[in-house]
Amino acid sequence: MSGHRVAAITRRLLQQFRRDRRTLALLFVAPLVILGLLGYLIRGSTSSPAVGIANEDQGQLGAMFASALERSSLITATTIQASDGDAKLKDGSLVAYIVFPADFSSRAQAGTIAPELHLEGSQPGTSAPVLQALQQALTSVAATGPVHFEPQVHYLYGGPGFDTLDYFGAAFIGFVVFFLVFVITIVAFLNERSQGTLERLMASPLRRGEIVMGYMLGFTVLALIQSAEVLVFSLAVLKVHNQGNVILIFAIEALMALTAVNLGIFLSMFARTEFQAVQFIPLVIVPQVLLSGILFPVSTEPKPLQVVSDVLPLTYAVNGLRDVMVKGADLTWSSLQLDAGVVAGFCVVLIVAGVATLRRRIA
Amino acid sequence: MAEAFAVDIEGVHKNFGGLRALDGVNLHIKTGEIYGLLGPNGAGKTTLIRAIVGLVAPDAGTVTVLGRRMPDVDNLRNVGYMTQQAALYPGLSVEENVQFFAAINGAEEEDVTEALKLVRLDDRRKSVVATLSGGMRQRCSLACALVHKPKLLLLDEPTVGVDPQLRVQFWDDFRRMAASGTTIIVSSHVMDEAERCQRLGLIQYGRVLAEGSPNEVRALAGTSNLEEAFLKLAGAKAS
Ligand SMILES: Nc1ncnc2c1ncn2[C@@H]1O[C@H](COP(=O)(O)OP(=O)(O)OP(=O)(O)O)[C@@H](O)[C@H]1O
Ligand SMILES: [Mg+2]
Repeated sequence: MSGHRVAAITRRLLQQFRRDRRTLALLFVAPLVILGLLGYLIRGSTSSPAVGIANEDQGQLGAMFASALERSSLITATTIQASDGDAKLKDGSLVAYIVFPADFSSRAQAGTIAPELHLEGSQPGTSAPVLQALQQALTSVAATGPVHFEPQVHYLYGGPGFDTLDYFGAAFIGFVVFFLVFVITIVAFLNERSQGTLERLMASPLRRGEIVMGYMLGFTVLALIQSAEVLVFSLAVLKVHNQGNVILIFAIEALMALTAVNLGIFLSMFARTEFQAVQFIPLVIVPQVLLSGILFPVSTEPKPLQVVSDVLPLTYAVNGLRDVMVKGADLTWSSLQLDAGVVAGFCVVLIVAGVATLRRRIA
Repeated sequence: MAEAFAVDIEGVHKNFGGLRALDGVNLHIKTGEIYGLLGPNGAGKTTLIRAIVGLVAPDAGTVTVLGRRMPDVDNLRNVGYMTQQAALYPGLSVEENVQFFAAINGAEEEDVTEALKLVRLDDRRKSVVATLSGGMRQRCSLACALVHKPKLLLLDEPTVGVDPQLRVQFWDDFRRMAASGTTIIVSSHVMDEAERCQRLGLIQYGRVLAEGSPNEVRALAGTSNLEEAFLKLAGAKAS
């Protein structure tokens, strides 16, 4: 292995990127756009679901519930007639309506609190806040009676302000870096093949390992800059919840980026054209988005899919990033040691596989 | 004494599926000689050159370059290879391209300047390759192949798209390099270029049909020019 020749490849790659504005934009602007959009989507939403309240109760309890619901920040409550409810669900002006029937108070006296909840039902996401608001109303109504219901809530991790963005953010930091670095590596390496320069490299004293190493270093430099940028943006601008050591997060991202580079090099050996290389993108990215625990926790997946999740590098990186950012894990945690170790292992295996599959021969 | 031959090809066969790209090629190319590989499209010229650098693995036979059996990665530092398609990094400048190939072949910065002067691109060294004309790209590609002053220079149709004046200059340069001990193998289908080679190998269907100096080839075919000689020899073998 000659350091001089490795450096020549790395230098050349960086020279190429310096001139390639569009790719630079993809590397350094796209992640901010993606993360910024995600943050806005999750935290910028202003309207809470519209819910109609029809109070037909002949006792007091219905009115107490209704006013508790009106105060709830989870929904936007309006008073309606129960008979209009279904029409309003149909025309889309309400996502749900709640009826407190005439015998609501009297049945409550007998021990059954039975409000009627009518849901539009075609959008599962909007039902949850309605149910939650109803539950909160119950809690606040109960507090006015002789029995006080006051749960003392303690969080091991997160906290009352911990939201969806905090949960997804940790995983997305890893994913965005992985995705963009992978795409750029696979295309750049394939370009080398299709423009004929790989043939030239193979007819030079370059060793295969030197080519892979030179590529790895070049892309790692870019990936590290990108990781740092994504991290600063997530923590400083999006204010994603972080309990852990920033250096540790950066280290996991860097490991992730290295894995993506080597996966890109390795897979580009199996593509003859750029078009074929692009086909690898959904093949590699979609399973990892669905199964690496970014969206759904791996532990709740069906068993056969868990087996698949267990062999995806992103699963471990996402888990590690969440442990650090949400739970404040450090390297003394055995779970983090495992995650970091597995990602590092993937990286080494892919380097070896890349070097082994890079053929000197054209035929 | 094997060293007398810069390239020694013995009984090389190469099949691509059912296609015989090289069909028992024997070539002995002397040190400091300009050897022309002549043949129609698909004759096997590129395949033969690739076999010499070790990019194509022969199914049978041996290739020896500068006294060493190929494939031999270390031996490639003595070899310069100009591919048929001008294989360059289009996003880099002329200078950056040549510097890169210099670096991986262990050449110095002075060699870069020298190579650029040789192909008359020193005034365009800062130009991005994608913005060059086809002939200039071809010249840049040549500079990349010879920047490290290889002992063996393999040129796969180097003068395609190069204007006639520059072509004449190129051949003067080739001859100067050969005189200083560089062995040059050039593939071509241009007959007036063939005329400038010291020895020719006429190739068709992966076989060497005839070999010798331009005069010998003409005499062999009994014709007055190379073009006719080639057509006659090719026709004789085919029938
Ligand atoms: N990698 C390959 N796979 C399959 N067939 C190939 C391959 N390379 C070359 N061939 C075939 O081998 C034959 C010789 O090709 P080659 O490129 O050596 O011809 P050539 O003499 O260089 O032609 P040209 O003057 O057009 O450059 C052709 O029929 C070609 O189709
Ligand atoms: Mg050819």
